[in-house]
Amino acid sequence: MEALVQRLAPPPAHVDPDEYDLGADGEGNLNALGVVRGMQVPRVPDPAAFLSTYTNSMSQNPQAKIKLEHGTTTLAFRFRGGIIVSVDSRATAGSYIASGTVKKVIEINKYLLGTMAGGAADCQYWETYLGMRCRMHELRNKERISVAAASKLLANIVYEYKGQGLSMGTMICGWDKTGPAIFYVDSEGTRLKGDVFAVGSGATFAYGVLDQGYSWDLSDEDAQELGRRAIVAAGHRDAYSGNTNNLFHVREDGWEFLGNKDISELWYKYEQEKRDARVAAAAQPGSGEGAQGENPARPTTEVQSVPMEE
Amino acid sequence: MADCSFGITGKDFVLLASDQSAGRSIIKMKSDENKIRTLSPGLALAFGGEPGEFTSLGKRRLMGGTSNELAKRGGESDMIKRDTNNFVDYVERNLRLYQIRNNTELLPAPASAFIRKELANSIRSRSPYAVNLLLGGYDKVHSEAHLYSIDLYGTKAILPYAAQGLGIYVALSTMDKYWYPDITRDEAVELLKKCVAEVKLRLAYQFTFNAIVIDKEGVKNLPL
Amino acid sequence: MNATVASEYSAERHSVPIEHRFNPYSDNGGTVLGIAGEDFAVLAGDTRQVVGYSINTRYEPRVFDVGDNIVMTANGFDADGAALIDRFRNSLKWYKFDHNGKRLSILSAARYIQHLLYGKRFFPYYVSTLIAGLDDEGRGAVYSYDPVGSYEREQCRAGGAAASLIMPFLDNQVNFKNQYVPGSDGKKKKELRYLSLEEVIQLVRDAFTSATERHIYVGDGLEILIVTKEGVRTEYFPLKRD
Repeated sequence: MEALVQRLAPPPAHVDPDEYDLGADGEGNLNALGVVRGMQVPRVPDPAAFLSTYTNSMSQNPQAKIKLEHGTTTLAFRFRGGIIVSVDSRATAGSYIASGTVKKVIEINKYLLGTMAGGAADCQYWETYLGMRCRMHELRNKERISVAAASKLLANIVYEYKGQGLSMGTMICGWDKTGPAIFYVDSEGTRLKGDVFAVGSGATFAYGVLDQGYSWDLSDEDAQELGRRAIVAAGHRDAYSGNTNNLFHVREDGWEFLGNKDISELWYKYEQEKRDARVAAAAQPGSGEGAQGENPARPTTEVQSVPMEE
Repeated sequence: MADCSFGITGKDFVLLASDQSAGRSIIKMKSDENKIRTLSPGLALAFGGEPGEFTSLGKRRLMGGTSNELAKRGGESDMIKRDTNNFVDYVERNLRLYQIRNNTELLPAPASAFIRKELANSIRSRSPYAVNLLLGGYDKVHSEAHLYSIDLYGTKAILPYAAQGLGIYVALSTMDKYWYPDITRDEAVELLKKCVAEVKLRLAYQFTFNAIVIDKEGVKNLPL
Repeated sequence: MNATVASEYSAERHSVPIEHRFNPYSDNGGTVLGIAGEDFAVLAGDTRQVVGYSINTRYEPRVFDVGDNIVMTANGFDADGAALIDRFRNSLKWYKFDHNGKRLSILSAARYIQHLLYGKRFFPYYVSTLIAGLDDEGRGAVYSYDPVGSYEREQCRAGGAAASLIMPFLDNQVNFKNQYVPGSDGKKKKELRYLSLEEVIQLVRDAFTSATERHIYVGDGLEILIVTKEGVRTEYFPLKRD
């Protein structure tokens, strides 16, 4: 049917031979192999080496003329109430903060979110394109694409470019027939299903807060707060992350945006809350030093004396 | 060898914890090595670095130039390998010597200045030590607990809580969140356990830890 | 009759091709700046073109009216910038032929430019691109790009050589970053408001005179393209020529 339509359709009025590859099948601006039509590649023996000489997308070549935006903290976790997606908004080019207002959550459609870490353009471009492919799936199959299939689509696309210098670490988050699901997909070709992911230069710091506060049975409010707190922790310790936090909650009826907040202001708010909790605990007789709400268990540790070492 | 150590202060105590692994490159040769040294009744040191080995930076500093120059000067034989343990021994004995001569212990603050100066001299010498330290101490005169972080360049920082080695990446944010001024001992121990749990959960490397607590009574082992 | 001219080179044999280092990039300096207002947008650029420490010309326009009330600049390597803008203008022309003279919205123009840039992901245009115009509601819009096409709509953006000098000034003067209500002890932030065209032009002039003082790649002249619903108009102000 498609072939028939294609044959009968009038030829495009204007075709720039550089930009379109007429013969190949495919979708939109991609040919059947998932390669961008008319993608220009420098005529050198090793295009990837060329790219890494002039851009910092593959290597951390500090002499690279073209500084692509890098450095991020993004996280997503699955829990009883759905999925929390939380990201920072800083883009750096070298040590310069190129932007503090980057949208690192890409709204693929009403039920699917993608996060952005690595090359900003790579993520933005391919996840937007993934949105198009997901819509095509809906039109052809009369049902929404599963998160597994959507993430596989993306993984397959970037796999075509493996070794050529794409740089992306993304989490595809959404709700399908099977419930909430998160897939981590990166430009190396890794695709992992999981419950808790953090990606980017500040990911380790985010994990440090996320892991210690995470439980499947978190309430919606606590989960949202944990997502924010983990990004604030990363923004505080990782110089490449910061500015503002964007928070999303994915539920059965699609995702909801829960606002943009300044990470610095949040940090001072959390510190103040910590102080207030101490004051409140001290004022309450009998409750002793219980400050951290999440940590009521306080076993007494036994301490044994040891002689000084030789 | 990958290291990981932590320090947490409260009003009247300091906790120090260190991983117990020792080995070379990708091999772990020992998993019960004590890398915390008691220097005096109110002072202890958690140390990490390159035992018996130089970092590439150490080599360059040592030879004062490129690998070509290194060859010219007679290459590796010139190098005297120095152990991090050796540095800690040296510090410990000198602090003891001070105590014998003056009949008084060096307080944490002057002890940290002494250690920092030794490392600052070391990095400018022909055979520098590659050692990172967390120094914890209880100051009996002022009744305060102190924690110092000193790196191989002699950079000293006074901190309320600190991580060194791989622990920085995963557990420093945990400390940021749960530490508060004048934290109680029990909660500090809980926090330390959180950090250790985080390291065991997120780092691909397998660590075991030992810990001590320093207070006015002295240095005691802390079962984790 | 010998058809070939004898030369010294005839005896030379090349068993291996002569290799040259492929260096297709250069930096022509200059800096650009876009600010969006309530019902207008401006795109400004200095007119100095340099290579290394030599000034090629003191007047080479950087910012262009590309049609449909959209102004565009691609600052960095001028040849790449010119190529990109030419390609966009050409596409816009064909878009009109193919679609009965339909106007291209700035939203669509922005997305299309992403594709132009990303199409050279593996051989990037060495430029920082900005476009400015009015959105479908008539509000001022500025879109900024990285060299390979990641883009974002913003209130203001500086690009090119002195971007890092101008951007902090803009953060403070356009988005009122770190500005607080006097007497509020740093508690109450200064409320955001749209700047008038006069205020914006004064800001742009200040930004460029300051950048000229501190950056060797900026100077000679300042050309500001102003987009309103009436169309695009240009203003020129001289800058220091040393």
